[in-house]
Amino acid sequence: MDGNVIAALFDVLRPQNIFASMVGVFFGLFIGSTPGLTISLGMVLLLPITFKLSAVTSVCLLLGLYASGMTGGSISAILLNIPGTPSASATAIDGHEMARRGRAGEALGTAVSASFFGGIFGLTCLVVAAPIIAKVALNFGAPELFAIVLLGLTLICSFGQESVLKGLLSGVIGLIIMTVGLDPMMGTPRFTFNLVELQAGISFLPAMIGLFAIPQILVGIAGRAQVIPGYKDKISGVLPKIRDLFKLLRSMLIGSLLGTGVGAIPGAGGPIAVFLSYDYARKTSKKASNFGKGEPEGVAAPEASNNAVAGGALIPMLTLGIPGDPVTAILLGALLIHGLIPGPLLFQQSPQFVYSVFWAYLLANLFNLGLTFSTIKLWVRVLKVPERILLPIILVLCVVGTFALRNTFFDTAVMFCFGLLGYFMKKYGFPVVPMLLAIILGPNLEEHLRMSLIISQGDFTIFVTHPISLAFIVISVVSFAAPLLKPLWKKKQPV
Amino acid sequence: MKKANLIISALLILFGGYYVYLIGRLPARNLPNTLGIAFMPRLLVACLFLLSAILFLGAAFNKAREHFDPGISLREGAGVLFLTIFVYFYVQAMSLFGFILTTPFFLAVLMLMTGSRKWKEIVAISVVSPLCIYLFFQKIFKVILPGGSLF
Repeated sequence: MDGNVIAALFDVLRPQNIFASMVGVFFGLFIGSTPGLTISLGMVLLLPITFKLSAVTSVCLLLGLYASGMTGGSISAILLNIPGTPSASATAIDGHEMARRGRAGEALGTAVSASFFGGIFGLTCLVVAAPIIAKVALNFGAPELFAIVLLGLTLICSFGQESVLKGLLSGVIGLIIMTVGLDPMMGTPRFTFNLVELQAGISFLPAMIGLFAIPQILVGIAGRAQVIPGYKDKISGVLPKIRDLFKLLRSMLIGSLLGTGVGAIPGAGGPIAVFLSYDYARKTSKKASNFGKGEPEGVAAPEASNNAVAGGALIPMLTLGIPGDPVTAILLGALLIHGLIPGPLLFQQSPQFVYSVFWAYLLANLFNLGLTFSTIKLWVRVLKVPERILLPIILVLCVVGTFALRNTFFDTAVMFCFGLLGYFMKKYGFPVVPMLLAIILGPNLEEHLRMSLIISQGDFTIFVTHPISLAFIVISVVSFAAPLLKPLWKKKQPV
Repeated sequence: MKKANLIISALLILFGGYYVYLIGRLPARNLPNTLGIAFMPRLLVACLFLLSAILFLGAAFNKAREHFDPGISLREGAGVLFLTIFVYFYVQAMSLFGFILTTPFFLAVLMLMTGSRKWKEIVAISVVSPLCIYLFFQKIFKVILPGGSLF
């Protein structure tokens, strides 16, 4: 066995890393089970703490949150019919129905077990696929790398959006924002307005916190926080029987397969995967007529799916530097803070760190299973914590977190500006994820584009004469053209 | 949303115009065989104009309805404005008096804004939370919190 694998295991098993993983899982369960708080928000709140931690400890903390946040989302979905995260939406259909019929414990037990199954399945796919993809990607030159970044951006802009056009506009504005700072090729200042703080460009951490956390706070505080009723009934019989779990194996496999596959496509995300899994599990089940009426298979499939999405989303993030969803985008940001650049070179330059990520994710899934089962009654009580207490504290944490980046209030101002921008974007149907991705990936996009054109001496055909680059560009074009052309195609169909 | 899209696209075109003006002021320091620092901004502003124009034309001619939040109510807008100004004053006060002294007051006002009316709860949360954040960030993780210039 590769010495790096063992070294990485011992690294992850250090007391501080085990503790970080447990804290991450605990915090993730809190974030996931509290309606209105998202995993992305939890991630950005923890980011400032990671500045002082080692890269492996930070990964243990953040992956713990990622794994458990997905599971936590199912608690409020099952008990209150309010999904704690968008990925828990499908779980609410049968899960809440089970809770209404006095089977809340069984539904929660099924959800936690299926989450563990999905998490481990996703991890297995990550461990198998990531090194292969990274090895292939090592042969990529500037045109291919440009085409991959472009593909990642266009997929994020076009997938799952109500308006592809607004997704693209959001991405382009993000790319314009990233042009502020020193030019990546020649180091000449661009659009810095003689401000020293802008020389290094717009830091993505204040942008992340602003775009994800502040709009939620503004809606909650300025628009008055919603009042969520607590869950009053007692919960028992959470631990499922092995026999019952075997009966759910088929739905868990469907969920895990679809979750990993969809998760690996940048921009597709959890909500698409869970509804696909739910629908496919229903169509292929012998108990299809029970779906929607409190069928455990209807809980197992989407829950396995949303945790498998995490493993799938880590594949393009680690191997190509393209995040699969907003959470992995933040994780990518966290790695960049520690000087680690995800992509094929990471596997060559820091193989031990890559294996640490795998072990950390396994540890997170194990803690997720153990901690969720042992503390489930606590999370039922957390559902009663009102937003009027949480939101002001979160706002203070955002201010503190952005200040801690460079010990300057300039970043706090940037964070709040992005927050206001995110708030208006949310109100007028502009997705914020493409903008964030553009800010993170923009410098790479420009660097690879200009590098390619230097190689070709200004000849743009370099992108179509390289077959891999051509393939990625064609997929990019199709991915954003297809949703635009879909209504026209539908009109031509006979009624 | 149609009206909003028209206004947004017009604002984006205006912003694009200002960006073009800024591009024109960029220093011309091109090395041989490079595309110069204005290449990417020019490419992006062209995309911005194109997409904004499509949004404008789509809003002007398309009769289909989009299902989005209809906008921001006067009350919510006033709330956002108040919160923005309040955060500005919080940051200013923090730079003078430091995190520990200003945060309890800030939290108390925010809790009142979100509908808290229990005084014991407001006092407890607004005093205990900053202390916990201080201990957790500054003492355990050694993350520097804003210190006041007057103290």
